Amino acid sequence: MNAVMLGLNQGLYNVIAAPRRAGWRGRVAGGAGAAVLWAAAWSGATLLDHHVDLANQAMLFVIASVVASIWLSAPAAFAFALACMLSFNWSFVPPRGSLTVDFERHAVLLAAMLAVSWLIAGLVWRLRAQATAARDAARWAGRLQALGEVLRDSAEPADQARPVAEALAELGGAPAALLVLHDELPPADCTEAVRVQGAIDADERAGLWLCLRQSQAFGPGTGRHTEQPAWYLPLRSRGGSHGAALVRLAEPGTASEICRIRAQALCDLLGAALQRATLARQSEAAREMAQSQGVRNALLASISHDYRTPLAVILGAASSLQDQGERLSPAQRAHLATQIVEEIRHLTRMTDNTLQLARLDAPGVTLRLDWESAEEIVGTALAHARRRDGDHRVRARLEPGLPLLRCDAMLLSQLLDNLVDNALKYSTGAIELVVRQQAPLPGETGSAQVVIAVRDRGDGVAPADRRRVFEVFQRGDAAGAPGAARGVGVGLAVCRAIARAHGGELRLRPRAHGGSSFELWLPVVAPPVEAAE
Amino acid sequence: MMRVLLVEDDRELRTTLRDALALEGYDVSTAASLSEGLALWTHARSGPDLVVLDLGLPDGDGETLLAALRRRESTPVLVISARQADGQKIRLLDAGADDYLVKPFSVGELLARMRVALRHRGTALKPALTRYESDDLTVDLSAHRVDLRGEPVHLTPTEFKLLARLVRSAGQVVTHRQLLADVWGDEFTEHTHYLRLYMGQLRAKLEADSADPRRLLTEPGVGYRLAESA
Repeated sequence: MNAVMLGLNQGLYNVIAAPRRAGWRGRVAGGAGAAVLWAAAWSGATLLDHHVDLANQAMLFVIASVVASIWLSAPAAFAFALACMLSFNWSFVPPRGSLTVDFERHAVLLAAMLAVSWLIAGLVWRLRAQATAARDAARWAGRLQALGEVLRDSAEPADQARPVAEALAELGGAPAALLVLHDELPPADCTEAVRVQGAIDADERAGLWLCLRQSQAFGPGTGRHTEQPAWYLPLRSRGGSHGAALVRLAEPGTASEICRIRAQALCDLLGAALQRATLARQSEAAREMAQSQGVRNALLASISHDYRTPLAVILGAASSLQDQGERLSPAQRAHLATQIVEEIRHLTRMTDNTLQLARLDAPGVTLRLDWESAEEIVGTALAHARRRDGDHRVRARLEPGLPLLRCDAMLLSQLLDNLVDNALKYSTGAIELVVRQQAPLPGETGSAQVVIAVRDRGDGVAPADRRRVFEVFQRGDAAGAPGAARGVGVGLAVCRAIARAHGGELRLRPRAHGGSSFELWLPVVAPPVEAAE
Repeated sequence: MMRVLLVEDDRELRTTLRDALALEGYDVSTAASLSEGLALWTHARSGPDLVVLDLGLPDGDGETLLAALRRRESTPVLVISARQADGQKIRLLDAGADDYLVKPFSVGELLARMRVALRHRGTALKPALTRYESDDLTVDLSAHRVDLRGEPVHLTPTEFKLLARLVRSAGQVVTHRQLLADVWGDEFTEHTHYLRLYMGQLRAKLEADSADPRRLLTEPGVGYRLAESA
């Protein structure tokens, strides 16, 4: 029973709160409905005339005016109730055919009839206003929330200026416009610093800039420049304003306070999102700056440390040739010249690595990718190693049927040269260059990988150093090894940078019976399938 | 006496190379800029036998000079460039430069490359090299015959065309683009994966260890070089 009542209540509430389109058609329909009700009440009263007493007839008119108040506007409902009372008075209250009232017999009845009708019309009108406001508020809250989500998820909130302007236009009843700062507030107004959503004239532009600079709202109801036909609202955030909105008002005289508060809330929502985006940009810039600073410092450290030794050897040997040339034996002279050539090769390698690291570290680096065969890349590394590998310690072993690699051959050669160079430097005994294909593990997504490993039987890398060894400016502590310990410097760091630039990874794995395996893992890309003959 | 035109803007390197080449018996004229090189080239009564051309010149592109040279004769041009990964270097090789060296290089390397370039001089006019012999590999292009350790080797038509192209430029680098255009055709110049496959097959047939080739050498990112015949 309660549920039924509740349902009825809700139904009535919905009828009352139904949005009223105040067009002339609506008014005519409402008037016609009221007229039908009045006619029904009048007919009923006429039929019942002389069968019931006057008070019962009066109730029919009261019912008609109460029912009509459900859809009539407040003034119309009041007027209809009055018309019902007067027509009842005219037709049924003696003396009939006149509006004169027998004060002692009927005045209270007529007064009560009018009072009850008016009271109910007033209550219905208030209920309707509240219901409309509640529905409006709920709709607005939903809209604000949706926009808030869009703004929160948007990396560039300025791109969302259009939906915000559309929502503002709805509030003002006329097209709205937005002026959004790209970045910092410029010292002078200029069009380059802002993005404008919607069409604005010169006066409006000046108004928007003023609003932005002062971070204050202008227009009707704001207490400032109230003569304006529009609201100028700043896009505020804690750190200041990030733009301004122009909300043109269809009827400036009747603009409601609640609309302005909503418009400002919307503007502040956009302002906060813009603030967040600005902060994100700034922190990203600061991070990049710190990173590039870090790389630069490391490179400088590497240059100042690792370059001095070969330079010292070269200067020593060359100046000796220059100053003592005639007194040296031909064998001594040849030895010094060889030393110079060797050190210059070493310097060249370091320079290539340092430059490559700086290049790969820069944002937006592009690789010269092509289809390359692992065999050729390994072959090139062997050819290069042969110059430094007098004892033929380096051997290659390739799995048959390897796929082509999508890579930059120059960079991969550099990577392998560095790894082989390191292995030659920090180990004695055989060095293996092994290439194999690794299928993705069962249950693991992702492509197959090609693994190019450089394996040595040296002392290996201490567990504590295994991560650090890829950082810029780290060297294995091979002080005991004769002729070793000359700077790798950026060597392994550039290897890792090259691996990562190819979407791969460089890993260090200690080997079971001593030594290290440096492994380049590269994802396999499906090569073009075409007949080549 | 062989005449060499050396175009290099760095004074120290120019002097060093000039002296080193003169010591080897070359008649060297030097230019420090593109315009000077062009002037020397145009006004000399007879052109040089070989040009050593630096890429980073103060007044413009080495390409301009190469184009001017190629309009008249097939004088060998050796490009010296400062950077390993230099797109211009490959463009010049494609445009007809004979070989390249990356700075820093030793005088020995430069002289070896010059000798190869001079040996190829005028091959466009004279009958091209048709015979290659190195250790136990013999390639006779006119007879369409390849022998390894005295045994004939069977090559597919494409493998043979590829090897023939390298033999004609033995000792010199041939770019990917040149190989693809000459063996497969102009529309295949981007199909480097063909080259990888066929070079792999050639190496399997002609090299003792195809992972450690001694004849069919790779120039990473540039092209291939058939080791100079002994």
